[in-house]
Amino acid sequence: MENYHHKMAAHCESGTVTALLNHGGLEITEPLVFGISGGIFFGYFHKTKAFSFPTFIMRNKPGQIRNNIENRLGVKFRTYEFRDPVKGQIQLDDLLIRKIPTGVQVDFFYMDYVPSWERVHINVHYLVVVGKDGNHYAISDSYFPAMVELDASSLEKGRFAGGNMSPKGFIFHLDRVPADIDYQAAIVKGIKKACFYMLRLPMPFLGIRGIRLFAKKVVEWPSFARDTEHLSHEIMKINILLEDQGTGGAGFRYIYATFLQQAAAIVQKPELKELSEELMKIGDGWREISLFSARIGKNRDLGPDKLKLLSEMIYDRAEAEERFFKNLSVAIK
Amino acid sequence: MKNPTDELKIEIINLIIETLGITDVDPATVDYEIPLFGGNNTLSLDSVDAIEIIMAIQRTYGTRITDQSLAREVVRSVNSIATFIANNRE
Repeated sequence: MENYHHKMAAHCESGTVTALLNHGGLEITEPLVFGISGGIFFGYFHKTKAFSFPTFIMRNKPGQIRNNIENRLGVKFRTYEFRDPVKGQIQLDDLLIRKIPTGVQVDFFYMDYVPSWERVHINVHYLVVVGKDGNHYAISDSYFPAMVELDASSLEKGRFAGGNMSPKGFIFHLDRVPADIDYQAAIVKGIKKACFYMLRLPMPFLGIRGIRLFAKKVVEWPSFARDTEHLSHEIMKINILLEDQGTGGAGFRYIYATFLQQAAAIVQKPELKELSEELMKIGDGWREISLFSARIGKNRDLGPDKLKLLSEMIYDRAEAEERFFKNLSVAIK
Repeated sequence: MKNPTDELKIEIINLIIETLGITDVDPATVDYEIPLFGGNNTLSLDSVDAIEIIMAIQRTYGTRITDQSLAREVVRSVNSIATFIANNRE
């Protein structure tokens, strides 16, 4: 597709949505897309049917970035889901023939252009397919510095992988962009929602209360582990959940800080710029937790003293984020 | 775009060696362009080392790498780290 411009992004879903909006003529940055959609979040899941070991999330549910951007900017995406891989491929190919860049949800593991040591099974990776030549698709994956090719069979495996949050062949494309967009209103609404989700949800495992629950419960993680190897793997996963898999760094705190910096100029509230700097520092603290977890996991140094220290570091983040979101909710009133 | 000096590249190799406590590598044998990850460089690093290096770069040069896709590109090799620092240091 001649007029499609590939760009790297901090996070796959916000990067994909941004790429489709930019292609449709809307000049909007990835941090604005992330922030307007209220992407920042926290949730701690001690043990559920879906997770065999405690885990946490630092962003809203996959798919919410696209949904919320639709609601807040008034743009419209057309979406499709398939049971039958053949029908799924026919629809995708038809869109490409019509020169429509198409967002695709895949299991990251089947993306052969990624080095094998980096590939893991994640069913909620998003990318843009921009063309097809013979049996190969032209892929714009915001995870990658340049456009890549992927054979049809690998893309099909990725689109129809099974398991938790399986993609079910899900694809989407931009359908309509309104003539006028009220960015100020969208930013204010996005920030208010983020503050509400972080400060006021009643569930004890979500928002700031969720960070505190994580801090309290992490010392119990050894009781869930089969052995030291298992525990060290799970502790090292804290680093992966905070820093890797397209988190934008420090559990999405840096990308949200960049959003606030850009939003400050649009809504003409310089205090958002100051809050952006505060959130960057909060992100540094999460990055310290990444490093600490990675170190103790790698060295199998997982005694109660270390987990207690990790717990204290997480409590500190809860304090800092509570202060930050309270100040943010006042600033955006 | 500024090109990094050889002095900066040597500084970076020493920073990596010091940060990771590596004792069995002669800094002079480290290639500037061969990827640091994947096992082909004298300094064969893993993903845990990557986060250590990112934080050491931030502490030493005041350059925060906030974007994880960018981080992967930056820590790819000594040359890529040096180019990033030369163009972003405070």
